[in-house]
Amino acid sequence: MTPEELIKRIKERFEVEIYTSQTKTLHPRERIWIEVSRNDFKELMKYFQEIDPHAQFSIIIGEDRGDHLSATYHLELFCENSPSLSVAVITSCPKEDPKIPSLGDVFPSSVPYERENQEFLGIIFEGIPDPRRLFLPDDFPEGIYPLRLDEKGITPEMVKNAGHPYKIKKEGSK
Amino acid sequence: MNVLCTTVGLIAIYLYVSFVSLVWDGLDRRLVARMQRRVGPPLLQPFYDFLKLVSKESIIPRDSNKMFEASPILALAASITLLAYTPIGFGPILATKGDVLVFIYLLALIAFIRVIGAVSSGSPYAQIGAQREVIMLASREAPMMLGLFAILWRLAKLDVERPFSLETLYQHNIWEIGTPLTIVGSLVLLIVFVFWLASEIEVGYFNIPEAETEVAEGPMAEYSGRHLALFKLSNSLKEYASASLVVAMFFPWGLSQYLGISGIEAMLVDLVFHTIKVFMILFVSMSLFRAITGRLRVTQAVNLFWSRILSASIIGAILLVIDILGVIG
Amino acid sequence: MNSRIEYWVKIPIGPIHPALEEPEKFIITLDGERIIHVDIKLGYNLRGLEWIAMRRNYIQLLYLVERICGICSFSHNHTYTRAVEEMAGIEVPERAEYIRAIIGELERIHSHLLNLGVVGHAIGYDTVLHLSWLARERVMDILEAIGGNRVNYAMNTIGGVRRDIEEKHKRMILEMIRYYREEVMPKVEEIFLYDPTVEARLRDAGVIPKRIALEYSAQGPTARGSGIKKDVRYNEQLGVYPELGIRPITPKEFTGVIKGDVFDRMVVRVGELWQSMEIIEKAFDQMPEDKIKTFSKDNVALAKLKKAEGAGIGRYEAPRGETIHYVRANPGTDGPAKWKAREPTFPNLFAVARALVGEQLADVPVAIASIDPCLSCTDRVAIIDSKTGKKKVLTEKDLLKASIEKTKEINPNIKAKPEAVGGICGGVRL
Repeated sequence: MTPEELIKRIKERFEVEIYTSQTKTLHPRERIWIEVSRNDFKELMKYFQEIDPHAQFSIIIGEDRGDHLSATYHLELFCENSPSLSVAVITSCPKEDPKIPSLGDVFPSSVPYERENQEFLGIIFEGIPDPRRLFLPDDFPEGIYPLRLDEKGITPEMVKNAGHPYKIKKEGSK
Repeated sequence: MNVLCTTVGLIAIYLYVSFVSLVWDGLDRRLVARMQRRVGPPLLQPFYDFLKLVSKESIIPRDSNKMFEASPILALAASITLLAYTPIGFGPILATKGDVLVFIYLLALIAFIRVIGAVSSGSPYAQIGAQREVIMLASREAPMMLGLFAILWRLAKLDVERPFSLETLYQHNIWEIGTPLTIVGSLVLLIVFVFWLASEIEVGYFNIPEAETEVAEGPMAEYSGRHLALFKLSNSLKEYASASLVVAMFFPWGLSQYLGISGIEAMLVDLVFHTIKVFMILFVSMSLFRAITGRLRVTQAVNLFWSRILSASIIGAILLVIDILGVIG
Repeated sequence: MNSRIEYWVKIPIGPIHPALEEPEKFIITLDGERIIHVDIKLGYNLRGLEWIAMRRNYIQLLYLVERICGICSFSHNHTYTRAVEEMAGIEVPERAEYIRAIIGELERIHSHLLNLGVVGHAIGYDTVLHLSWLARERVMDILEAIGGNRVNYAMNTIGGVRRDIEEKHKRMILEMIRYYREEVMPKVEEIFLYDPTVEARLRDAGVIPKRIALEYSAQGPTARGSGIKKDVRYNEQLGVYPELGIRPITPKEFTGVIKGDVFDRMVVRVGELWQSMEIIEKAFDQMPEDKIKTFSKDNVALAKLKKAEGAGIGRYEAPRGETIHYVRANPGTDGPAKWKAREPTFPNLFAVARALVGEQLADVPVAIASIDPCLSCTDRVAIIDSKTGKKKVLTEKDLLKASIEKTKEINPNIKAKPEAVGGICGGVRL
């Protein structure tokens, strides 16, 4: 399937903004960028899996764009072909209501990335099967999202358990 | 007088074997290093290690119980006792009628004390290491005992005063019978015993209980300082004692009778010659084996023992038995 | 069911464990020796790179991404430059592409030899570790001769490479390839394809079936070992790789079967060693004489990048699998608005954790070692000093003072007294 065909098929089903980019290397490489609202987002991702059941999920790039949060999902379709199709799907949510549907049931490999973005940017992925923290420690204060641009950091009152790890008393010990 | 003699003798042997077995550890590390194209540590590194560990603070885990501290001492005590029943170029110091049973019993006891210490430490790694140690113990004992008793039975037919004692091994040896059946049977059993020795000192294929990358030294995971030093020493003694058994069974010849000396000098010469033979068998079973193999999974090792080594042991024993029956008939 | 749960043991493998080179934590639930469940906790190595990146310009970021990881330093650097080049539409001279390919393959050789040794160590076969690392010294020496460093060669720059490969380097590399072909590879094949111990331990251990590898988007040798013909250099038609005849290597070509176990992953690595050597030789044959970078000076590149808009994605097949970098321009400034990297270990870890369920505890170290985990790559984002929770701004003077003190401590004879260039280091607050 060529990029043009893919764009045509997606345009038929969804109202999305699609543009392509090309590298200036010896073998120009085309990437498809799709901007989609978060309501259509999950349907679109399911449609990708219909097109290629072995679509490879690479990354979620969460960004703080000032007034809203955006998440870019990169997919590789037909991963055994040369060239394969490289698709980046961009969806966004306002900061007051930072919710994006989770892809845990479509692409199981997306869960770790969702956990990462959840703790660093505070994007809430609705229906995520495993909402625990992945990178940050479990006693990291709630509601602090380190990679948001307006984040002010941790106040001294939030700090607990500071000190030498051996000297912290275990619960129930003598 | 006799008691005094025995005590002094045991202490002397204990000091000698501690020294020699630690020298062997250093030699082994250097030999393996050369095989791996490294330089390796100094020859006396095990002594430095031992002295340093002794001078270090021993950390006792919060969840451990009394046996955690007691077991290194018990293990060393059991190893020293084991030396009294070990053939070292001549019959054991405390030679009795059935000392071979005491020998096997003490060898297993050291492993059990390690297991008790590991279970008492409260560490999950040590628990898993202990499980593996018990599994390995159960699988390696059967072929070893079968082989040992088959050989002793064959020797008992040669008119000895105290059958089934380790002294017998120095009065007669298995090769002097000379019939083809005994020679083939003994060779098969020799292979069995080389594997048994490797698993007894846990190297190569059988470095399973103490697997460093899997269970972080297993039973030894929580030990440090003095306690670890005692365990290391007891392990070295055990290494020497178990290799001594193999040497006494298959290569018992001494030098003294050829040199025509007797008394205490003969014992010293035999002891030194015995040590050299121990080093050689340990070189095959420990250094070489360690350098050319990796660790098996515990299921594979158990499988190896029960399917291959036990059947080899049975074949060897059957050959000897046929020979005995032929002699009687 | 409840009565059985009592026998389950939870074992933490990590954060610090002899089987792991870097801190990570696998919480393994065991029933005897059989694994019931594997849970992963990361973040013991968080360095806040994404946060730091917001304060760097494009050229400075080049050196930051190189220091994500010691083994794949070239891969990160390369991927990042590709992302920036894609974003700003910069062309790269053909010779530079060939040099990139050569250094990339040299790095692949050293990374794979490292991993062969690590897997040997994980199964207690230390001789393999020592001998393969001895062989690896040769390629490290070459990389040092070309780049000036054993680890961070700093070869890439935006729009080309920083150093040319000269005739003497070419001779050294070809000599090295002959040494590997004749002396190292036969031994490596002997060990990893035919040795009975290695086969007993690696066959049927840590099996990742093709279905799980696809579902969890496994990358690199982990995916190819399961029979997925996926290699970013091939899929992406990266640089000059199509001219060099790149194709994904699967164990089928060597052993005829694909099981997706640790053995197969090692077979793929052995095959890639052969392939890398072929690629280097072909690259030397085809390399044209040309300039090696588009911009003569870094400030010219920065001036061009200031006008850039949009975003770029760079993808490259690092020795462990697909590395992907994303850069979004911040028009009018010389630094990006957002930079993000994803490393192959991240998806591979979750794939292997899924695959370990039902296996034995003894397989955990080999299975983990077989994906060649690079945890310093995987953990990279955090900002806060965990002890005090306060941010502390160190000026260049403070850092210089601290480093002079440390040097004095190590060697009191050193007399030199470096001076601070100014409160600002390269235009960026440290």
